[in-house]
Amino acid sequence: MTGFGGFVARAHAAGQLVVQPRMGFSDPGRMRGGLIATKLADATTVGTLTLDSYTRVGANDEARRALAEGAALNGYPIVAHDAATTASVVEGLRGQDFPVQIRHGSACPEHIVDALVRTGFDATEGGPVSYCLPYSRLPLRESVRNWERACQRLAAVPGSHLETFGGCMMGQLCPPSLLVAISVLEGLFFAQHGMRGISLSYAQQTDLAQDTDAMFALRRLGEEFFAGLDWHIVVYAYMGVYPKTPHGALNLLAQAARLAVRTGGARLIVKTVAEAYRIPTVAENVEALEHAASAAALTSALPVGDGGEVYREARALIDAVLNLSDDLGRAFVQAFALGYLDVPYCLHPDNAGRARGHVDASGRLAWTSVGAMPIPGATGRSAGITSSSLLTALSHVERTFDWSPMETPPSPQQHLASPVTKTVMRIQDTALTAAREYLRDNGFVELLPAIIGPVTDPGVRGSKQVDVDYYGHKYKLMTSAILYKQASLLGFDKLFYIAPNVRLEPPETASTARHLAEFHQLDVEISGASREDAMQVVEDLVRVMVQRVVTTMPAELEQLGRDADAFKDLLVSAFDRRTHASAVADLLEIGHPQSADAEIDWQGEEILSRKSSRPFFVTDYPKGCRGFYDRENRDVPGMLRNFDLIAPEGYGELCSGSEREFEYAKIVARMRETGENPAKYGWYLQMVREGIPDSAGFGIGIQRFIRYVAGLDSVWQASAYPKIPGQVSA
Amino acid sequence: MELARKRLSVVLSSVASDSHTWNLVYLQLVLEEQGHDVVNLGACVPDDLLVAECLRCDPDLVVLSSVNGHGSQDGERVVRRLRACPELAGTPVVIGGKLGVDGDGRHTGNLLRAGFDAVFSDDVDAFRAFVDGLLVRVAA
Ligand code: B12
Repeated sequence: MTGFGGFVARAHAAGQLVVQPRMGFSDPGRMRGGLIATKLADATTVGTLTLDSYTRVGANDEARRALAEGAALNGYPIVAHDAATTASVVEGLRGQDFPVQIRHGSACPEHIVDALVRTGFDATEGGPVSYCLPYSRLPLRESVRNWERACQRLAAVPGSHLETFGGCMMGQLCPPSLLVAISVLEGLFFAQHGMRGISLSYAQQTDLAQDTDAMFALRRLGEEFFAGLDWHIVVYAYMGVYPKTPHGALNLLAQAARLAVRTGGARLIVKTVAEAYRIPTVAENVEALEHAASAAALTSALPVGDGGEVYREARALIDAVLNLSDDLGRAFVQAFALGYLDVPYCLHPDNAGRARGHVDASGRLAWTSVGAMPIPGATGRSAGITSSSLLTALSHVERTFDWSPMETPPSPQQHLASPVTKTVMRIQDTALTAAREYLRDNGFVELLPAIIGPVTDPGVRGSKQVDVDYYGHKYKLMTSAILYKQASLLGFDKLFYIAPNVRLEPPETASTARHLAEFHQLDVEISGASREDAMQVVEDLVRVMVQRVVTTMPAELEQLGRDADAFKDLLVSAFDRRTHASAVADLLEIGHPQSADAEIDWQGEEILSRKSSRPFFVTDYPKGCRGFYDRENRDVPGMLRNFDLIAPEGYGELCSGSEREFEYAKIVARMRETGENPAKYGWYLQMVREGIPDSAGFGIGIQRFIRYVAGLDSVWQASAYPKIPGQVSA
Repeated sequence: MELARKRLSVVLSSVASDSHTWNLVYLQLVLEEQGHDVVNLGACVPDDLLVAECLRCDPDLVVLSSVNGHGSQDGERVVRRLRACPELAGTPVVIGGKLGVDGDGRHTGNLLRAGFDAVFSDDVDAFRAFVDGLLVRVAA
């Protein structure tokens, strides 16, 4: 197979989701730059020229006027630019390894199809219904005639490909069965007019489970109707009112990528963080392509479903239309005249306008009224929509994804009663049970940790300690258990705690989604062990905890929207180990300003974290960025024998550990270097002088770890009694 | 007389190249909730059609909405056409939405100079207040 369809089929067979931008600029140089960046993106991509609105409505003179005045258009004017200009835009880029599709939105596409064929393109998009009702005021009858001719013209080009926009229509508030039906019917229309390469589309809607059914319905109908043709399914990232925040926009996109991979979609058209505001830049498009590709890489296909109710409704609509006439164009015109197809909220004069959809209490799209469509549901036109209830419905997805977990948690009552908190706490319980079993089976003893003491871990990264008045002495709440862990080696070779820590982190960390002022660590210390021994225990522990949750709590993960596939790599492959120096080099290479002598900053950590598919270790931090107890490398002064474990997907650091300093002179010297006054450490230094074993150990941040396992937006969701830095709370 | 004029007749329309209609559906509801009569011309309204409909309806207010990024170019062109008709030279005509492809408001001056009485971005409250203000004018 050649051309667009062949490329997608090969990628699909190789398990790669093809990702594609909706990119279009009027300036040819910028357009070319966008195609180059798309081709070079770290993803399996195809290119796009999205055409501007003047070209779509045939106002080519208006497009020329804008070009002459230097005004930017909302897409590439393929008719107004001459053929040589367009040829130079794709020269050396377009080919079997990088097909480029023309996307437009025109009910009179012949001049566009002419121009694209003339300039060597063979793939485009549209349909007689889907490029008329949402895009034009042209009578449907005329759109049908125009699209018949356009299909015939395109079908004459060998290997040509046509995608229906039927799975989107108005972009929002249309229950999936109608979208699926129009998608299939337009595909049949294309085939009737000679097309052999066809893609069926489906736009992500409000609910992942419903979308999954819709995709399976489309797939089943595709198999029923398109056998023998070169066809695939393309998913559109949400086409309605888009989240305004970067995290909301990217999470919605990632969900679309997962939807595609789970259900056998072969291609995804992305949306960017600029969607809610303006035409996105090239860089924003590349970010979206790569983000979608990495979400896709962590997902695997579900067993095929039968499409449920979406299938039944779509099938009823398709059959009703096919029964009207053997000529699909005529059948379309009649179907809309009779209201057998009726698109909610579409103002086109040929649309009956009696059907209405809404978002129901569970977040799924449902029919308010089906008008005359041959499917179950109320038939009257429902009253009662107001400007504000319309906006509420239109912004359902935006609000869901924009809702910022960095905001203050709800009241303790609400938080504890929330089904999410309950599920997360049960996941935590399961994970800790697994950890305790593993540690006990391997000879560790659980001790109960100290909570206060005259001195505690001096801490790093600007956090402060809490003083308590202890019979007139200033004691501290433990910021970590390190000093007592080392002390306990005098009685136990292998020990662990589940220890509470309090660190008054700077208030600005409240918005990192990763800081709590009160949290817990699974603290482990092993006498005589090396760093590598400790890292092996960390790796085993993490795997044991994740394995237990994944196998015993699939329903809970599903309820939280956490894809168990995210752990597929973690469970089977060893965790990568890389040095701090190489991590810094990588960050510098991609333009992140990271100092070689300092802790990797939070953004840097997040960047590295997003690039990985399973947790990985960073080792050998420079001395300046850790406490006095991380042992210095005797052969490489200035470098520590320590490590961090970083979670994938942007969740960041989960665990820190090291071989420990245990010799009195070294410890005192290191204290001085880090600005700690040895005089404060009376009991500890006294003990060290008398001799403690050498050891290695670590602490896993429990709330951070559970956040990662449960796929939570913010770490506070993994605490029953969250304390956000800088915020007064329960 | 004054009571009868509490209802404005409004022509609501997209511009020639813009096919977005959720904005129109929404603005129609906003205006109807304020008690006005709305003729909604829908998507991609050619200049000739808009002029003809405005001449036919003789509205108290013309509201143009565009979000596709061509609103300033399309709006400037069509408001000149409206103003060229003596019957419409004094009719309040406003425009709003996402008027350029760059997400900023630098088109406002040009649009006002071309003949609009007001230019809005996303601020529907300001728009409601503007419409309320017209009632007083129409009544007087
Ligand atoms: C749904 C949608 C579509 C649907 C529209 C279906 C339909 N017939 O309506 C489809 C998928 C078909 C579509 C097509 C296109 N779209 Co579109 N679409 C959107 C989307 C996702 C949501 C718009 C929406 O429904 N909003 C809900 C309504 C109620 O609100 P609103 O339109 O945003 O208007 C609000 C305000 O602007 C204000 N307002 C609007 N008008 C007026 C007027 C007055 C007087 C006042 C006071 C206020 C006001 O009030 C509203 C409520 O706050 C937006 C992006 C987003 N916002 O998330 C892009 C968007 C508007 N589309 C865009 C574009 C460019 C297009 C296309 C040209 C394709 C392309 N190149 O990408 C085509 C249009 C072709 C054409 N001929 O015009 C761009 C516009 C870019 C810009 N302005 O810089 C946007 C912003 C997406 C983007 N970032 O690229 N689109």
